[in-house]
Amino acid sequence: MSAVELNDVVKRYGALEVVHSVNLNVATGEFIVLVGPSGCGKSTTLRMIAGLEEISDGTISIGGRVVNRMAPKDRDVAMVFQNYALYPHLNVAENIAFGLRVRREKNEVVEAAVNEAATILDLTPYLKRKPADLSGGQRQRVAMGRAIVRKPKVFLFDEPLSNLDAKLRTQMRAEIKRLHKRMGVTSIYVTHDQVEAMTLADRIVVMNAGRVEQVGSPMELFLNPANAFVASFLGSPPMNLLRATVTSLNGEPAARIDGVHTDAIELKLPVSFVASLEADQRILVGVRPEHFSIGPEAGAQGQPIAATVDLVEPLGSEALLHSRIAGQPIVAKLETPADVRKLSEIGELKIPTDRLHVFDAASGKAVSGHA
Amino acid sequence: MTSRFVGYFKRLGEDLRRDWQLYLLVLPMILWFLLFLYKPMEGLQIAFKDFSPFRGISGSPWVGLENFQTLLEDQIFIRAFLNTIAISGLGLIFAFPVPIILAVMFNELQNEFGRRVSQTIVYLPHFISVVIVAGIVINLLSPTTGVVNLILSSLGLDRIYFLTQPEWFRTIFIGSNIWKEAGFESIVYLAAIAGISPTLYESARVDGASRWQMMWRITLPCILPTIIIMLIIRIGNLVEVGFEYIILLYQPATYRTADVVSTYVYRTGLQGTQYDLATAAGLFNAVIAFALVFTANRISRKVSSTSLW
Amino acid sequence: MRYFRKMLALLTTCAVLQTGAAYAQDASTKIVDKPLQLTIHFHFRDKYVYTENWPVEKKAAEWTGIHVKNVASLATSSSRDAFNLLMASGNLPDIVGGDVTGGLKDDFIRYGMEGAFVPLDGLIEKNAPNLKKFFDEHPVVRQAISAPDGHIYFIPYVPEGEFSRAWFIRKDWLDKLGLKVPENVAELYAVLKAFREKDPNGNGKKDEVPYFAREPIEAVRLINMWDARVSGSERYGDFMVESGKVVHPWTTPNYKTGISKIAQWFKEGLIDTEVFTRGARVREYMLGNNIGGMTHDWFASTSNYTEALKDTVSGINFAPMLPPKTVSGKRFEDSRRATFQPAGWAISYSNKHPVETIKYFDFWFSEKGRILSNWGVEGETYDMINGKPVYKPSVLNNPKPVNAQMWEIGAGVPRGYFASYPSEEQWTNKMALDGIAMYQKEPSLLMPEFTGVSMNTEERATYDKYWPSLFTYMMEMQQTWVLGAQNVDASWDAYQARLEQLGYSKVMKVMQAAYDRQYGKN
Repeated sequence: MSAVELNDVVKRYGALEVVHSVNLNVATGEFIVLVGPSGCGKSTTLRMIAGLEEISDGTISIGGRVVNRMAPKDRDVAMVFQNYALYPHLNVAENIAFGLRVRREKNEVVEAAVNEAATILDLTPYLKRKPADLSGGQRQRVAMGRAIVRKPKVFLFDEPLSNLDAKLRTQMRAEIKRLHKRMGVTSIYVTHDQVEAMTLADRIVVMNAGRVEQVGSPMELFLNPANAFVASFLGSPPMNLLRATVTSLNGEPAARIDGVHTDAIELKLPVSFVASLEADQRILVGVRPEHFSIGPEAGAQGQPIAATVDLVEPLGSEALLHSRIAGQPIVAKLETPADVRKLSEIGELKIPTDRLHVFDAASGKAVSGHA
Repeated sequence: MTSRFVGYFKRLGEDLRRDWQLYLLVLPMILWFLLFLYKPMEGLQIAFKDFSPFRGISGSPWVGLENFQTLLEDQIFIRAFLNTIAISGLGLIFAFPVPIILAVMFNELQNEFGRRVSQTIVYLPHFISVVIVAGIVINLLSPTTGVVNLILSSLGLDRIYFLTQPEWFRTIFIGSNIWKEAGFESIVYLAAIAGISPTLYESARVDGASRWQMMWRITLPCILPTIIIMLIIRIGNLVEVGFEYIILLYQPATYRTADVVSTYVYRTGLQGTQYDLATAAGLFNAVIAFALVFTANRISRKVSSTSLW
Repeated sequence: MRYFRKMLALLTTCAVLQTGAAYAQDASTKIVDKPLQLTIHFHFRDKYVYTENWPVEKKAAEWTGIHVKNVASLATSSSRDAFNLLMASGNLPDIVGGDVTGGLKDDFIRYGMEGAFVPLDGLIEKNAPNLKKFFDEHPVVRQAISAPDGHIYFIPYVPEGEFSRAWFIRKDWLDKLGLKVPENVAELYAVLKAFREKDPNGNGKKDEVPYFAREPIEAVRLINMWDARVSGSERYGDFMVESGKVVHPWTTPNYKTGISKIAQWFKEGLIDTEVFTRGARVREYMLGNNIGGMTHDWFASTSNYTEALKDTVSGINFAPMLPPKTVSGKRFEDSRRATFQPAGWAISYSNKHPVETIKYFDFWFSEKGRILSNWGVEGETYDMINGKPVYKPSVLNNPKPVNAQMWEIGAGVPRGYFASYPSEEQWTNKMALDGIAMYQKEPSLLMPEFTGVSMNTEERATYDKYWPSLFTYMMEMQQTWVLGAQNVDASWDAYQARLEQLGYSKVMKVMQAAYDRQYGKN
């Protein structure tokens, strides 16, 4: 049985439709991450699940019950907000207890629940403090504590880590993951950060412009993006997409990469794609930055292709090469050689043919997957 | 000691040179205070003098505390002072919460149009002059033609000549003041409520709070600092009751409860142009008001960590 | 100077014998050969200032050679404030005057003694024959305006005439109910009772208000019926003099009886239940709605209602009646015109031309000046007919009241002058004139007027200290009794005790001392 089920859920503000017919099944205990650029409708979808926004069309069920017209408090969900939504006049313990107090739980029950949550979240020393006296990470933990004590069927997270700095974010990310493992509660998590999505999710839902682009496990999405949007959204840095036209090179499929202020370059495509390609089809050729390699000496495979390097960003063991192929900008991620300066002198990059992705330029759909 | 002062002025001089634009901005305010608030304090002297306008402040002889003695020996003044406290005290108890309640109620109104209309309706009386308000009150409460008495008599009750009964004066005065000012005063609380993050309510909704609980557990606690500041200011005005409206409503018959310090001063001033006595009464009021504000602020700072200064 | 006085005396005689011809002699009124300009601060009735462009003032300047230039600003809407500000500035123009709330008499005297104004008695003696004559003929005015040091510091505005207010009753209602004009208290009670009970307006409702009143001073005027007085003067709640003793009328045994009786009448509905909150437009309301039966108010203005309402209230005849006889069988009218008004003008210490100024003041008390100050300019607002000034028909028929027309040209304004009753008589309606005649025919209806006392500094200090609170308490108790909130008999002793506690005898002591000094024993 699915814990949360969305069937053709639509959200309209007046004539403006912002969420178009979203379908989603969340299994019990699953950690689902809704990811997408801002304005893609992911938060609205989450808020519809929480009951903070009305559903214009379709149905949402939680635990098998249709909740379309149900008040948030009756949906048995708990939500963690981006700005924590802590009550400034209440101390940590009271903040955590809020959900239980308004439900008039017995004092002992409340206290026990608060203490338990505080222990889980390492908040015990701070129970008497006011939110104003806490750090960002602590506040975030209080917000989570407030959700935990409710023992809800579903946790809803609305970009809970966006207000934290990078280091804390990494730390809290791990903490959320651990918490989920420990409690096993169905969670729906909204973020615009693909790293969070990749690291936290059992399954990722990529959304764009109010539509679900693709649903799947992080690696599925990473390896087989269903379309150019998903491909360019996941991965860091994202996949390079080169505009090109399908040609034939000695009877084998090939792409002519559009030249910008320079000549076009021919690139061989995997033979297995031949069935799904048409001559002169406009396509996007996708290459993940880490799939580039250089020189024969490193045992690199693939077709060499002329490239000019604009800028080298050394990250330590790896370096990012901002370069151009046929004038189109790409980013390549390479191991840092002993002498970094060598990288700026590179004249060609090798592209492994069998790791190329091809998307139809008009629809953005993947032409063929890697099985 | 002196070196500390020298050091202070040296630093001040450096600050002035460095941030002169900022000091320039504050200058008009400082001048305003000096000219219009501190300069006139010179006139407070006349509370301790037998003042004659023609002789001037410096030409009038000192009489020490005689004016204060006169006041404190005057039972009518004492009564007026106690009435002032009573009227403002009761006003504090009954009138102070009303704008807060109104603001919370407006906040709960979901219909945008309905809220605009009702807000406008309750603001309006603020813009009516007290003279007209007094006229309305007198008409409403007239024993022969007033609506209130028509209702009373149709219910088989005795007609009441409200404005001549000392027992009714405070009720009428405070009640009509609430009608006139509560709506306008609610603006400040509405602004405070508007400053509460909406996610607090959303979070509470998800957590299962009813509207009533949200009002008590979120709205009111979040505007509490505003309420306390307003309360301190109100307490500072405890010895201050505007005389125009009282003069329009009171009668010798209701002096027992209606005569306040400002009306006392008004009558005294008019009778004998006793500026010295009037100033003494004003100074007396100001000192007490200051003590009240100071104490209220102290208590508030201790108890709720909200304070004016 | 002697020549001047002789000349004036001659002129006055001439005026009596052959009015009109004498006025041709302009030379007689010239005070200075070369035009002299004097400055004046004169803010009055909260919205006017002295104006050299008034036709009356222009004429006076032409006749006297003295031009009076106003320095008071119209920026303030309180004559009292304007006057106080001027005094506080210390920078006084040649002449200071006006008409302000609460009156200026005490101010003139107080600041005069402090040196702001010059004593006028010596100047009058030497230079002002008309003023001297006036004061000789009106010793009460002289006494009343004298300072505790015996000097005169200002020339007041002096009204003329005896009766100001009267009892008015709906005679048509009396006729309808077959009653006659009440002659005594019992009859008055019966009439008011009948007004209340017998539906004289015939609308089937008991909505008649037998006695109503416009001003606080009139609300309790019915206590006259028990020989008690409301006030010793036209001022609300003023002191009165009884056989050389200053007392406050609201402390007398008669007052006790009167107030308890009218409390009874109030309870029976014979007096307007809203008498204390009705406000200034009560006559329009009561008479216009055909519900008011009787009042006590000004002769002239109240007489106008019968005429004004004859189309809307059929048969209305709201006419003056004589005061009914009191319980002791006397007949008296409590109110009367003030002997002088606490308005006028004074000469400031900085004036370099006090002699010319007092002559200028004197001019307004000359026959010629008096006519000018009352009637305006000959040929423009009045003509001399049979040696007497008569308003032009254009003035009398103007829809604007005559006094308002006069104010516009600078006549009838509260400078130090002697008002002329005939100038008022000409535009008073017949009902009022008949009423006044009826009152005048009765022997000694008028009660003695308390014209005020001038207290020295110590007396003033005592008075100021106690009187405002005493008066507050008296007003309070008066209403409390009338409204029936307390019983008079039960609380009278407590009232007396409280007055004593609040300093009544201390106030009376200084009042008596000041009175004796000013008016002499007996």
